[in-house]
Amino acid sequence: MAKQSPAERLFTLTCCLLASPVIGLSKQDLFDAVPAYRESSGGDALEKMFDRDKKALRNVGVQLEVKNNDAFEEGENARYLISRGAFVWPAEFELNPKQLGLVELAARSWNTQIFGSAARSGLTRLKSRGMVEIDRQLQHISPRLVAKHESFGPLADAISATTTVVFEYRKSDGSQSVREVDPLKLRLIEGEWVLLARERKAVKNYLLRRIVSKVKDTEAGFVPPGDALITQAEQDLVAFAASKVAVIEIVPDSEAWWHFGAESEQLELNFMDEALMAEDLMEFGADLKVIEPKSLADRIRAGFEAVIASHA
Amino acid sequence: MLLMPKQELDGVELFNLSLSIVGTVLRDGDQRVSDLAELFEVSEAAINKAVMAVANSEDVKNYETHFYVDVDELAEGYVSLSQGMSSLSEPPSLSRRQLSSIAIGLDYLAAIPQFKADADLQALRALISESSPASATSHISSRLTEQIETLQEAMSKDLAIECEYINQTGAKSSRTIDPLRIDFIGRRHYLRGFCRTSDELRAFRLDRIQSLSITASAIAATTKALPIPEEVFGEVTQEQIVQITASAEAAEIFWNFPVAGNTKRTGDQLQGSIRVGNLAALGRHVAKYGGMVKVISPESARSAVRNFARRALAGASAPGDED
Repeated sequence: MAKQSPAERLFTLTCCLLASPVIGLSKQDLFDAVPAYRESSGGDALEKMFDRDKKALRNVGVQLEVKNNDAFEEGENARYLISRGAFVWPAEFELNPKQLGLVELAARSWNTQIFGSAARSGLTRLKSRGMVEIDRQLQHISPRLVAKHESFGPLADAISATTTVVFEYRKSDGSQSVREVDPLKLRLIEGEWVLLARERKAVKNYLLRRIVSKVKDTEAGFVPPGDALITQAEQDLVAFAASKVAVIEIVPDSEAWWHFGAESEQLELNFMDEALMAEDLMEFGADLKVIEPKSLADRIRAGFEAVIASHA
Repeated sequence: MLLMPKQELDGVELFNLSLSIVGTVLRDGDQRVSDLAELFEVSEAAINKAVMAVANSEDVKNYETHFYVDVDELAEGYVSLSQGMSSLSEPPSLSRRQLSSIAIGLDYLAAIPQFKADADLQALRALISESSPASATSHISSRLTEQIETLQEAMSKDLAIECEYINQTGAKSSRTIDPLRIDFIGRRHYLRGFCRTSDELRAFRLDRIQSLSITASAIAATTKALPIPEEVFGEVTQEQIVQITASAEAAEIFWNFPVAGNTKRTGDQLQGSIRVGNLAALGRHVAKYGGMVKVISPESARSAVRNFARRALAGASAPGDED
């Protein structure tokens, strides 16, 4: 038999695990059963291939369970099996053609390999469930998710693997510190990528642009908090943004006037981060003036002064 | 019809396709390779590879892992398989990563004006539990919503539009444009279309479009078939190379301009060169970072940035501060 391709290897591994006895299969059982493993040169290369395959299975939804005799790590005596529950689709998971069109649009919006591939493969699987009729009335819209931060890939991987990460974070006041967090979710809010993560016991938001070091995966696993805590943290951020209001005065018929769709010279805008709001407003230069809060007006003035000083 | 591009699939994507083909064929019976290729929007070669992955996947000592694929039928363009004693009859439900990537995409769609109150999207986001509450900070003006509706109507009827456009230099011009697509990138909307006035494919920021109306002039089929570039930078005819440094927080400036050469990172500072079409427009793009981006050269670019910041501080809308 010719050497197995990666897809053949993963499919064989899945079939073997599905056919495993209740107690699961040992690593050696799998190395003996899957031709690509059996025919490999063994050693570290085989171990790494197996680790990659376990990760690949989990990333496509094949929930690989590891039963350890050793309480602390995945040892030689570990047994592997697939949770049958992973193959049971939620009963209500039916989409209408318009919704499938929206999923297609969402999948198409990704320009990054990591999530773009995951979203496309998710769409493929939805179609395999018989949800094939797609409403393509949405074809004129082309949203694009641009995720170029270096930290994006490592964080996405750590979220999937539920492993703790460490990075250096610089707040808008310039203070910098090392953060060890359990990454939970990535979100794009107002064009900014935000990481929702648990630091000690609190769930907080971190702007990816303020992660100023490489993200290091500690490979220490964590148990994610319940959905309720995550939802609460997200709602807190929305409530926080709703409570932060800037009052600005805009020069009529200027670019800022058209950009903000102003209908009067004074406009109220909500914001979640004062430094980001300052950037948004500074782009319009003298087209607008901040009336309040004073801290925002001061920040903008200091920002322009810093620009003049650094370009003197 | 706009379809997802047929890309070369990697091993994991091919495995995912194999699982999906098994689910489809076991439920709906034998399928044509061409039909599966159309369904999953991949090439027929990818379907063949995915089916062969199923055919070549078994532990020869364990009959419960065997799938039976009719290879002769496959050569004739049909996919015929049976699961034998295998317990794999349909693919697993979506993984956390698959759900997350779809959920983030849907959250993003919800930020587009015409989808904000869409009942199907709301139901979909509720179904995918990872969806997040809508942001409270979206500055979506009713003007933008109306513009998008008008452009969608024009595109669905294949009709050109007329508008006034204020370009980066502040100059206003009347344009006739064949609208082809609306891009939503970051927080900005762009109309991608063929400008009959300048006789080329262009990107127009929606917040710079005024007096938009639909004409009775049809969009030519050849225009509709034009490939639209991914980037919205547009053609730059008199560009200058500007050398800059940026702190990590302002790294995005290197994504907002075409980059010339390599960008070097030292500690948390990035250094590189960007291609700028109009120096007068550079001031706003650099000054907004409040000192986190610094122009090294040429002096004319440094001066443009300095002057923009000075005028902004003075609070006077001086003519020529925009390009």
